[in-house]
Amino acid sequence: MLDSSSFLNLQRVLSLKLNPDRDVDRIHGNGINTIDIEAVEGRYMLSGGADGVIVIYDLENYSRKLQYTCKAVCTVGRSSRYVHKFSVETVQWYPYDTGMFVSSSFDKTMKVWDTETLKPAEVFEFEGNVYSHHLSPIARKHSLIAVGTTDPKIQLCDLKSGSRIHVLQGHRAEILSVRWSPRYDHILATASADSKVKVWDVRRASGSLFTLDQHNGDKSKASSEAVNTAHNGRVNGLCFTGDGLYLLTTGTDDRMRLWNSATGENTLVNYGKVCNESRKRLQFTVSRGCSPEFVFVPCGSSVAVYALHTGELVTMLRGHYNNVDCCEFHPDYQELYTGGKDCNILAWVPAPRAPDVEEESKSANQAAADQSSVNPAFQDAWSSDED
Amino acid sequence: MNRKRALISDAFKVKRFRNETQKFGAVSKGDGPTDIRSTLETLMTLFPRKLFNDSLPQIVMKHQLYSIHNDKTLVDKELNKLREQGELLMFQLGFDADAFGLVFASDYKAKVLAGEDGRATRATVEKFLEKLPSACTELSFSKDKMLKEFRFTDSEITQLVKSGVLTVRDAGSWWLSIPNSGKFTKYFIQGRKAVLNMVKKSKYSEVLKTELEERRTTSHVKFQMKYHIHDIVGAELVESIPTTSGTLLRFVDS
Repeated sequence: MLDSSSFLNLQRVLSLKLNPDRDVDRIHGNGINTIDIEAVEGRYMLSGGADGVIVIYDLENYSRKLQYTCKAVCTVGRSSRYVHKFSVETVQWYPYDTGMFVSSSFDKTMKVWDTETLKPAEVFEFEGNVYSHHLSPIARKHSLIAVGTTDPKIQLCDLKSGSRIHVLQGHRAEILSVRWSPRYDHILATASADSKVKVWDVRRASGSLFTLDQHNGDKSKASSEAVNTAHNGRVNGLCFTGDGLYLLTTGTDDRMRLWNSATGENTLVNYGKVCNESRKRLQFTVSRGCSPEFVFVPCGSSVAVYALHTGELVTMLRGHYNNVDCCEFHPDYQELYTGGKDCNILAWVPAPRAPDVEEESKSANQAAADQSSVNPAFQDAWSSDED
Repeated sequence: MNRKRALISDAFKVKRFRNETQKFGAVSKGDGPTDIRSTLETLMTLFPRKLFNDSLPQIVMKHQLYSIHNDKTLVDKELNKLREQGELLMFQLGFDADAFGLVFASDYKAKVLAGEDGRATRATVEKFLEKLPSACTELSFSKDKMLKEFRFTDSEITQLVKSGVLTVRDAGSWWLSIPNSGKFTKYFIQGRKAVLNMVKKSKYSEVLKTELEERRTTSHVKFQMKYHIHDIVGAELVESIPTTSGTLLRFVDS
């Protein structure tokens, strides 16, 4: 289904460029490991750094100028009593309002923060480093946080009561990434260093629903040890598509695979070699709101953009000075924010086009986002050469 | 003034921003089913038959096709179609989990039977080859399958392994294989290493594809240079960068 807004969004995504006019305040003194943009207004962004610092930015432009910096609104800095002792690996806003956010770190704790006071309302302690946590973006009936640590058992903690409700057993090595489905609030996907990805229904007491098999049950394809594995190496990245119908996984075998999330079938889309040297979770993201969709994967110091269903490498976004560790897509404006070891968060914004005389239609999306596109500086005021 | 340029709807082009989506010098043909087949045949001609005294069928690696066609998923799909039709056979050659060799079924049968001439194992091999069309999509066979579905006896299986059509995978299962392909694998890996070294040792670890094709090859490289170039580009062991002077191959450090 190709409606005008998704088509225009597609064009915007294809023209993503590093925007020299949009800056993000540079607060972190060390690499940035994780970023998250809140889903309610799309206005505030959280970032967690390798030094344990957490920063909140306001992405809105109030300066009326083309060039603006996204200011940091508040920071949980090294001087705070409650700051994480080691690097923050995952941050996530509470899905329903910006009054709360959750962060987890290599100091083996997960903290639930009150945004107003910047004090933790709840602290969960674990036995090992916390690689990843995730709250379901759509859950109404529960407020479970899935946590992946060095322990092969996945913990489900309850946000409201502060207790640990459930443990999911099945993996044999550390859990590198956990992700709730954006379609069903009871479906959870987990990726582990044991090369397996399991999909769980948390309402059931028994084990996982299914384990992803890269060969789709065809035992003849690989050696016998590779049975039921999603990758030929550690699986360190998980991402559902916006509609929850597909799941993407990345592994240290330098491959990315697209799975049907309902059946667990490998769609066999071939992305080629997707460089993956991460020893922790790889934070990659999928575009939302355009057709066809794109996957943005950090690859060394650039970000590789692949077409979701054909596997074609569309382009490489270069701009960071050092490794890119995380990227997040802003669905309302089709913008990409990336953070890396060079302590910068870069904004990739669709390049503005000089408006054609013929072009009349602008969807609501574009109108809202076009703060930068009709700038007189970009309009072609010279007469044409062909005249 | 803009009217002239806007006449042709450029709704589908994002060309105002001349970024890396422009490709010069890249050979990307249309992707229809016949095109994959013709690419396969072109690549097959690069295979050195004389080197093996014509005892081996022409082998092409699956990833060599990726260096010619951009859409890997489409290539995979088309290859699977050809395999299901019984025209193409795929083999797990053993040196890399991802490296698959492709041989036309007719070629394979002809060469295997020619090699079996006068041997005691000929009858069993013929029987096996007859069963092949139905099993064209399998890379390996388990003991169960061999005994029950194909009705081979244990001693017949031993004969098949001896003749080289099956190779041991692990206890109770076998890979489908090409007899006498050991030499091929050896020369292939040797040549690949040598060509990669040639790229690595160039200034800045990069070299123009046309220049590499013209370089003198050492005695380690037994295959045609083009065969190896398709291999290293398709396996992404070198990065293929389009430039104004043609395609540049840059060594990928990993």
